[in-house]
Amino acid sequence: MATRILITDDALFMRVTLKNILTQNGYEVVGEAENGAVAVKLYQELKPDVVTMDITMPEMDGLAALKAIRASDSNARVVMCTAMGQKAMVVEAIQSGAKDFIIKPFQPDRVLEAMKKAAA
Amino acid sequence: MKVEFVTPFVQAAISVLGQIIGSTPERGPLSARPQVYTTQQLNVVCGITGSIEGNVIYGMPIITADRIASKMLGQPIVTFDALAASAISELGNMISGNSATIIAAQGRKVDITPPTIVKGSNVKITSVNVPALMIPLRLEGIGEIELNVSVRESEGRHRAAA
Repeated sequence: MATRILITDDALFMRVTLKNILTQNGYEVVGEAENGAVAVKLYQELKPDVVTMDITMPEMDGLAALKAIRASDSNARVVMCTAMGQKAMVVEAIQSGAKDFIIKPFQPDRVLEAMKKAAA
Repeated sequence: MKVEFVTPFVQAAISVLGQIIGSTPERGPLSARPQVYTTQQLNVVCGITGSIEGNVIYGMPIITADRIASKMLGQPIVTFDALAASAISELGNMISGNSATIIAAQGRKVDITPPTIVKGSNVKITSVNVPALMIPLRLEGIGEIELNVSVRESEGRHRAAA
């Protein structure tokens, strides 16, 4: 059965790009969230295998959403995918339970590698 | 405004555009403007907060935006629709985010706000009362992008801690 993914990004362009990369490589994109609050809600409804999470978003940012999702499900697998690569942010995400940290712009292979690792 | 604050934005823009377009942009001469201001048709506005605060505007003609969005989407742009606008907006987000990473590595704590697209020329944006510095970046076969940077050191509470 295909690994089920929930994509979180406020940019339509990034949701479309990630969806194309994932679906072309055998993953099933079960939902798309445009901010952290929607991601937390969709996580409960859809129970995806892996979540991709942007950080800079309106309503609720990705670090807050990561913490909320991990608080509700300590086995949740979340991969950060953001333009903010500063060390303090990477450390906070990993300490909060993120499986990987992808910095934009990225190559498709980097996304696939992170998904493979997170879903393992 | 300190010229040292501009360097991370130029470095990040050259790196991000190089990765997206596949060619290195050529940097034009720096000029000063009394405030953050653009005469370009299409502009991506990003806020900078933290130990440095202000705005950055990435301005370009529509034709340049079309060509960049085509590269990002891997298909020609027929009309500049929501998806194309989102691609250009994300370009601004990526340059700002990569700039924040460079600034953080220098020991300053900074964050960015989600980008806003502003269409229409002769736009003035005021949030901090500091002059803006403008650097044009030329991309072969694509056109020119203007980087308008207007940031200053924040007073007190954000100075930090990286």
